[in-house]
Amino acid sequence: MSPLDRRQFLTGSAAVLGAGALGAIAGAEAEAESRANAAVTQSASEQARIALGGELATRVPFDAPHQAGILTPAPAQAQATFVALDAIAPNRGVLATALQNLSTRARSLTQGDTVGAEELDDPPPDSGILGPINAPDELTITIAFGASLFDRRYGLQALRPRGLERMPNFAHDNLDPARSHGDVLLSVCAGQRDTVTHTVRELMRSVVGHLTPRWRIDGFQSARRGPTPANHPRNLFAFRDGTANPDVNDASLMDELIWLPPAHPPTTQPARPLATPSAPPASPGARSSGEPAWASGGTYQVVRTIRMHVEFWDRVGMFEQQKMIGRYRVSGAPLGGTNEFEDPRYDLDPQGKRIPLVAHIRLANPRTPQTADQRILRRGYNFDRGIDEAGDLDQGLVFVAFNQDIQRQFATIQKRLEEEEMVDYITPVGGGYFFAPPGAHGPGDWVGSGLFV
Amino acid sequence: MKPGRKSRWALAAVFTLAVCTFVGSALAPDGSSNARPFAVSQLAPKSAPNPLAGRLKKVYGTSTPASRYGTENADLEDEGTNVAGEQISELSPLPPRAFTAPENEYRAYAERWISSALTGAASLRRALAAADRPAAIAAWESTWSDYLHLGAVYLTGAAATINQAIDGTPGVLPGGSTDPHFVGLHRIEMGLWTGESLASLIGYDMRLEGNLERLRGVVAHVQFTPLEYATRSHEIIEDAQRDLLSGMDVPWSGQGVLGTAAGLAATEEVFHTLEPLISGRENTEGEVRSELLMLSGVLESISRHSHGGYPSLPELGSYEHEQLNGYVAGALSALEEMPGTLETEVRRPIPKLPPPSPAEKAAASAAEKAAEQTP
Repeated sequence: MSPLDRRQFLTGSAAVLGAGALGAIAGAEAEAESRANAAVTQSASEQARIALGGELATRVPFDAPHQAGILTPAPAQAQATFVALDAIAPNRGVLATALQNLSTRARSLTQGDTVGAEELDDPPPDSGILGPINAPDELTITIAFGASLFDRRYGLQALRPRGLERMPNFAHDNLDPARSHGDVLLSVCAGQRDTVTHTVRELMRSVVGHLTPRWRIDGFQSARRGPTPANHPRNLFAFRDGTANPDVNDASLMDELIWLPPAHPPTTQPARPLATPSAPPASPGARSSGEPAWASGGTYQVVRTIRMHVEFWDRVGMFEQQKMIGRYRVSGAPLGGTNEFEDPRYDLDPQGKRIPLVAHIRLANPRTPQTADQRILRRGYNFDRGIDEAGDLDQGLVFVAFNQDIQRQFATIQKRLEEEEMVDYITPVGGGYFFAPPGAHGPGDWVGSGLFV
Repeated sequence: MKPGRKSRWALAAVFTLAVCTFVGSALAPDGSSNARPFAVSQLAPKSAPNPLAGRLKKVYGTSTPASRYGTENADLEDEGTNVAGEQISELSPLPPRAFTAPENEYRAYAERWISSALTGAASLRRALAAADRPAAIAAWESTWSDYLHLGAVYLTGAAATINQAIDGTPGVLPGGSTDPHFVGLHRIEMGLWTGESLASLIGYDMRLEGNLERLRGVVAHVQFTPLEYATRSHEIIEDAQRDLLSGMDVPWSGQGVLGTAAGLAATEEVFHTLEPLISGRENTEGEVRSELLMLSGVLESISRHSHGGYPSLPELGSYEHEQLNGYVAGALSALEEMPGTLETEVRRPIPKLPPPSPAEKAAASAAEKAAEQTP
């Protein structure tokens, strides 16, 4: 992530608008249009000056070996929308064009672009709700594909990532088909809600007629409220979330847990043990899993729309709440401890007298050598969808996790969590399994291009 | 001054003098051994030595300085903990054996409703065989309502498996509504309200009758812990609110109000069996009874307007819907006190983690640093 260079950005804006002005001068009403465009230029420059004066100027590169929005720290991107789309393109070529358009538009929006001018009687090319400058605002757009994209329609069956399947119903799920699955998933995350709203609108516009919306959900991050800058924000059950996430700054660990390895991994370098002290070396067989070559550098994305019955939760005593989670609500420390980042030391508590054996944190991450390679990277958002038919708040968690192998990681954890007591207070109602391909290499490339070579 | 006013002043003066004389005689020191009523028996000496040697720095029985004791103790009480680290309650725990009679009573109640549901399922089978859809719908509603009177949604173990076969919804099954394991009341509901052939539903009904019979055998022996039974008192209506009033579990019939009324009846039964234990413990009994009455009242009103039955959720008027939602929430806010009021144990303090080793400290510090670096 890098703050956008203000000088370069303004120069680029002026160049774009200047080119537009030259075209207009060639016309019959050159003078009048020149004045109009000059006014637009001035206005755009002024807007850019304002927009780039603050946090809106921060941008996250779109072109990279791995897509943005996966390891990108979520707390700075307080707002998100997840949109699942179904492909209606008539053939493979049109689908490729749609995906190319999607990346092209995503690239320009994430890097910050200028709202171009068109003929006055044409619809504007951009809705313009952010003004004449689409400031980047730490925007990331992560593009992922569902298993259904690899059915017979487009002849992509052979290229389906090996671990990509339709998300099953786990015990206690109550999945609504209208809020589940999909051919393409867009994860749009940014600092401000209007940035996300604008982005979704523009992206949908770029693929209209080829990809059509299936479901969407908006999310938000809780603010970090301390007491120290390190303490994690809380979910809507008031417990801190994300404490045990693997360190995204540890590139080797990410290679072990998140990214699909090259199809033919180099044999000269030995597998590196996981970061957990007593973890065994990763099994090469589990890693070089015969995935198609185009998928290397990608990752599996799990999205679960989990309704949290907050009124139910609010009727539970604090003692029971903490036992269900395994942490103190206020500090986030494991039960018996004092610090959020303290090791829960399950080895000292084999009977579960301190932290129950079915406590959420214990089932989610038992912290044993055998489960070290099951860890996932969670990147969830809260949601608040209003009120349901019964007058209860429709709130919860858009659970988002990235992992290298869904069966080895997410699905294994999820099956363990079927035993937790918290299942009475949550209902998974939607979501799906997706595969986020590697990132685009540059302006001529697009996310998913490997499917069409 | 008028004569009448003068006499009133004189009377007041005599009364005041009499009161002063009486009080003075009562408070005057008396040297005689025969203490009279209201007399002071002994005057305190002008000064007395402190019976406790030295100056106290800690509150007796604790290691807390007196200057902080009040604040610390108040903070602990807010957390439901005493100075010994135990989880405290203002009520003394009930003995677990106190729940034996209520649970026996509930089991007998449940068996009666299973019998009633079996009768309903037989009527449903006859209506299906006669291809009489209105009669079949009426029989389904009756059977389903009878079943929900059990409050059976929280049965555990073998009973939970049978419950899934009787009242399970398709959302939890891999194949959804087309899953072969989607059987029971909601499978029949789907068929009845979507125009499926009635003859095709007879098999489901026969299976339902078999499962109800099996459940009758299990319910007689089902065991609850006191906490489970006390918690059941609010969980039945919670379930009705989440699954029925929301329409989630009754997408075809929309009979969420009917199901909620059955859930209320089950709750009233659990409450009735527990009343002897709750009585006199905080204000729970009165508050619950009051809220259940109000909820019952709104359901009766809805039923009256619907000529003795219950409207489906889409048919429910917006004001009635708001009332129902509100009184359900009100009932739950009172019922949430039940488990705490019926506590059977003193919670032991949570064991403390040993002080971290240098390596653990370093690991925690590294994790904290990594988290801090995340903007």
